[in-house]
Amino acid sequence: MSPTARYVFAVARSLRAEDLADTVGFHDVPLDVVSHRGLSAVVCDVELAEFGEEALTKNLEDLAWLEWAARTHDGVVWRVAGLATCAPLRLVTVCSDDDSVRAKVDALHGDLEAVLDRVEGRKEWSLKVLAPAPVEREPVPAPSGASSGADYLRRKREAAGRRRELGEQALQAAEVLHRVASEHAVASRRLAPQDPRLTGRPEPMVLNGAYLVEADQHESFRAAVAAAAELRDDVSIELEGPWPPYSFAVLS
Amino acid sequence: MSDQLTPLRSNGSAPDRPSYGPAPSNLADILERVLDKGIVIAGDIKVNLLDIELLTVKIRLLVVSVDKAIELGIDWWRSDPMLSTSAADHELADENEQLRARVRELESESESERARR
Repeated sequence: MSPTARYVFAVARSLRAEDLADTVGFHDVPLDVVSHRGLSAVVCDVELAEFGEEALTKNLEDLAWLEWAARTHDGVVWRVAGLATCAPLRLVTVCSDDDSVRAKVDALHGDLEAVLDRVEGRKEWSLKVLAPAPVEREPVPAPSGASSGADYLRRKREAAGRRRELGEQALQAAEVLHRVASEHAVASRRLAPQDPRLTGRPEPMVLNGAYLVEADQHESFRAAVAAAAELRDDVSIELEGPWPPYSFAVLS
Repeated sequence: MSDQLTPLRSNGSAPDRPSYGPAPSNLADILERVLDKGIVIAGDIKVNLLDIELLTVKIRLLVVSVDKAIELGIDWWRSDPMLSTSAADHELADENEQLRARVRELESESESERARR
């Protein structure tokens, strides 16, 4: 085994280490909890041959490795968030040993407490609004006596107008739905719409919203957004949650 | 998990999976969560986040049928800098088409002009 380091998944409050006994990190290595001043860093051993600087530079370029690391990281965060108030860390936060983990928790103690205060008892919902898949582009008319250039340009303009109209409707629906969701949340964020090449769906995303919702409000949040979406048949939505509060775990 | 990602997982080091955790979600959601969000603490292993951002861009290119997406007119929104390049290309193509049509129109006009004389 090559030299190891400590990979940090999340920082939590009120986490009992024994609750993580059945949970593993990378390569089925058991998780450990490094406690310091009331906070718990959830860590596991990783080999520097895989998570060292040089190795990471190479591994992060490997999509299969990245996907595995991302899913493992995400899986542990979900587990921790199900047990305690949890602030997820960004992927590949690696410290040399437990003392180093403690030093970092110590240095950021106030900020981490503030983040945990913000997300305590709350979970995140994701609302995505998708415009209708774009209509087929107008076929270019074959040159013929009956079709003048002016006709052609007019048809192009009309097609562009229809596309624009659909787009504007979708954007307007996104505004309405974002407002409804925000009204039922304690905080909200608009994230960059995801690339259709990555989502695998042709419909353009016009809203990628994140909402922080109180523990006892999940059902009313979901119902309110679903009801508002019912009224907008010009768009489709993806409503997912509750998730760990990734979007709201930000150091200010 | 979208099917189109499966072939990309083909290298031998195929990932072991945790047996618990979230319902399967698509790679876009997962990467957004773990790369773009979460607390940033500088670890002892220095990872250049810029490199990671570049990587996600590369993934976008890798993942699926770029041409399909552009064909479908995604660039119409131009919400994404990755897409605006292709949007610009498309616009150029549109403009070319329109210019060609306009030339045809002018040509036919001057033709009929000549015919009248």
